[in-house]
Amino acid sequence: MSPIRKFEKPLGMRDTFPKIFEKKEIIRQTGREFLRLRGFDFIQTPTLEYYDTVGKASAIVDSSLFKLVDSQGNTLVLRPDMTTPIARVATSKLLKEKIPLRLAYFASVFRAQQLEGGRPAEFEQMGIEIIGDSSVYADAEVILTAIHLLKALGIEEFKITIGNAGILDAIIKKNVQDEKQFEELHSLLVRKNVVGFEEAVISYHLPVEKEKTLLSFIEDATEMKSIREIAKYLYEKDAFIYMEQLASILEIADATSYIAFDFTLASHMNYYTGMLFEVFATGSGFPIGNGGRYDGLLQVFGTEVSAIGFGLRVDHLLEVIPQQSDEKNEVLVLFVATQLAEALKTAEKLRAQGKRTTLQSIEGLENLAAFENHFAEIVRIGQGGNVHE
Amino acid sequence: MNELTIAMPKGRIFEEAYEMLIEAGFELPENVEMSRKLMIEIPQEKIRFILAKPMDVPTYVEHGVADIGIAGKDVLLEQNREVHELLDLNISKCHIASAGLPNTALNEIAPRIATKYPTVASDYYREKGEQVEIIGLNGSIELAPMIGLADRIVDIVSTGQTLKENGLVEYEFITDVSSRLIANPVSYRMKNERILDLVKRLKKCVK
Repeated sequence: MSPIRKFEKPLGMRDTFPKIFEKKEIIRQTGREFLRLRGFDFIQTPTLEYYDTVGKASAIVDSSLFKLVDSQGNTLVLRPDMTTPIARVATSKLLKEKIPLRLAYFASVFRAQQLEGGRPAEFEQMGIEIIGDSSVYADAEVILTAIHLLKALGIEEFKITIGNAGILDAIIKKNVQDEKQFEELHSLLVRKNVVGFEEAVISYHLPVEKEKTLLSFIEDATEMKSIREIAKYLYEKDAFIYMEQLASILEIADATSYIAFDFTLASHMNYYTGMLFEVFATGSGFPIGNGGRYDGLLQVFGTEVSAIGFGLRVDHLLEVIPQQSDEKNEVLVLFVATQLAEALKTAEKLRAQGKRTTLQSIEGLENLAAFENHFAEIVRIGQGGNVHE
Repeated sequence: MNELTIAMPKGRIFEEAYEMLIEAGFELPENVEMSRKLMIEIPQEKIRFILAKPMDVPTYVEHGVADIGIAGKDVLLEQNREVHELLDLNISKCHIASAGLPNTALNEIAPRIATKYPTVASDYYREKGEQVEIIGLNGSIELAPMIGLADRIVDIVSTGQTLKENGLVEYEFITDVSSRLIANPVSYRMKNERILDLVKRLKKCVK
């Protein structure tokens, strides 16, 4: 490897420049106000966690974890997701105070990149978790929160695709011969590799009936007009009734135009057990968020409580939120050394009017004209009095 | 109806795929001037073609600058990108195989494999339980065993003519290759109807 140059950063690490920082702040503030109003409490968890607890329980593959060792020799990880640390803290403490819990976060997560650039290794996520409510209304609340949050951010063109990990697993498991075939078909669906799925099914030489079921399921599920079309593939109807209930709640809430059902939707986040969804929006080539029910995860931390949540990727949100007009309305107060007192007073007054005001001594500037170019309004405080421009 | 951007590989596959689209009922000009042009607009169908190197098609689609694309399975296997593979077009068929000089065995200490497909080759030998050293080349792979750079090559074979002319024989079949219709995951959802319609129409033309 060539020596590291002074300007280089580790693969996937990015700087946030002022303009992007401001845009992120708008997302953060809008999100915070919106979620607080909806009854969610914000929390923070540490950047570092133990590999043996959070690292192993998270659904992020081992090779994507940033690992380091503490002075006692324990392996630590930079948190790769927020759901797992929240499951940890909820189980050990918060659930004793209130149930169900409604928690929210805005935090960086870290996932090492193996491929070439174009993807960040550290990115912010904004999301929520509802812990301790196993009813279908919690599912609906999570989806509706996502929809309304996106609208509050000014995003109009988006789609939430909803599936169900339980239903999908049951249909595949019922029709394959062993766990290995199930794993293979499932991972093909995570990538939505329809061609690979069909090839694999045929290569298994399953009994005709089962092969036909799997092949027609994948075809029906991708072009499903109504969720009822999937009913015939199910032997155990509870999960299906649950999804029908969810669909009708979302209809009552007037959310139908933003959602679509796809029962082939599978996630690489293997802790999802029930309903799961992905969020897509025009403007970003990558999904802007995902979520679902993960009733098994809290068990890892010793409590049998159901939980559900979603996270939005702030870096992808930045690509899809409408352009803010960045009008220049900043004021520059320039002063000569002798007039400092006057300059301080003037700047104070301007700031009290809500104007963004920069105080700068003329002596400190090398190129006066170039610096002035950054401002819409200039106040010069010199010996002869004040001049506004 | 939104504009649909389709990434197409330059060269022979472009022509075959283009023919298929016409056959599927898309209103496209019979002859496209594609000597140096990299982008072709078809306003009446609201389609835009971008012409890329075959190896680059999945990259454009993964990043969403193209909604869908046509890519060889060899490229998809090699790059493992986040795209949806929707349809096997069954064109430009060939296979990936290992080849070498006749009646030779792999070097016992450090078998060397020259290839344009380092991921495919290393996955294959790993699966077989054999540790090999991969030497990445960009073309004229057949040279490698001839002048002693490698014991075997891993490359695509269509008729076997090139191997034969260079005195090489095929040893192991690795996998079948054909062109696939791929889609960006977001485009697949946001332009779902258009993409499914295209898949359906093309599916009827697959031979």
